[in-house]
Amino acid sequence: MAAVESGESRSHARAGKKHKKKRRLGIRIDMTPMVDIAFLLLTFFMLTTVFSKPQTMEINLPPDESKVDVAESNLLTVRIVPDGTVYCSMGNDVPEAIVPGAELKDPEKKTRALAKFRQLMQERNRSNPKLITLIKVHREGTYTMLVDIIDELNLANISRFSIAPMLPEDQKLMEKAGYTGPPVLAVGP
Amino acid sequence: MPKIKKARVGIKIDMTPMVDVAFLLLTFFMLTTQFRPQEDVSVIIPSSHSVIKLPETDVMTVTVTGDGTIHLGLDSQQLRAAVFGPEYRLKLSTQVADKETLAKLMIEARIRNPKLRTVVKADKAAPYGAIEDVMNTLQKTNITRFNLVTDIEKS
Repeated sequence: MAAVESGESRSHARAGKKHKKKRRLGIRIDMTPMVDIAFLLLTFFMLTTVFSKPQTMEINLPPDESKVDVAESNLLTVRIVPDGTVYCSMGNDVPEAIVPGAELKDPEKKTRALAKFRQLMQERNRSNPKLITLIKVHREGTYTMLVDIIDELNLANISRFSIAPMLPEDQKLMEKAGYTGPPVLAVGP
Repeated sequence: MPKIKKARVGIKIDMTPMVDVAFLLLTFFMLTTQFRPQEDVSVIIPSSHSVIKLPETDVMTVTVTGDGTIHLGLDSQQLRAAVFGPEYRLKLSTQVADKETLAKLMIEARIRNPKLRTVVKADKAAPYGAIEDVMNTLQKTNITRFNLVTDIEKS
């Protein structure tokens, strides 16, 4: 099948010339084992190659020293507690639970709940273009919650957001909205 | 029983083009494959719609596992050996006990290679407290721009 032939087809053509030509032997090399190995390696490399590179999300935090004063009316605080409830409040207002806890944990309802959240964020930002969103996640929450929220903000083209630790004062505010989860512990510097 | 035997025609297929293509593909896959050393910690990363690609070189990875332990990894062998110690040439990352150690190691790595980009790779179920600690440390060490590794979301 796969073979290389080296024949003696032209050796007799110039017989009348002075110098003698060596007679070549017809060589046949069986290429089958080599091709087998080639295919084996090909399969191996094809199966081991990973083409998809992980994606990343970029986050900018303000430097530690700088304090930026934001007017209360321009500050939207999004608080997420361990059971998945998302509270949303303007300035120091009483928070409002905009995503019920069970929905963030249910994979089917999650997409819809987050889409609703995105819409709300977009509306708020349209009515006040100077709005700054502050995300506060309870220390006992999970990492996915943060990623989900930032993802929705990115999808809504909201780039003015920051992440801040949740403080005991936040708990007092959330309790007014009916929060009864684990307490927020003050974290030392 | 009379059996009618069809005379078989000897078929010869020239396999050369197929073999050529096979070798071409083999070369391609051999050249594009990059073997990753076995990762010491495995995490299930959350998904997002973000499409920014992870940089390939000069990456400092802070990995947070599901139970909240923090590991610091560097992609360059020399840098790893210089910052973590010579036994880390083949190991990708080192476990970090507390925030102070993390800050110290990160500062040292960044002094040796100022081009380092910081990437946070955390498990879906990692407690947010650990992430918050990492972000606080990043902020304190003046790394205000970092990336979170996510998977592409299928929807």
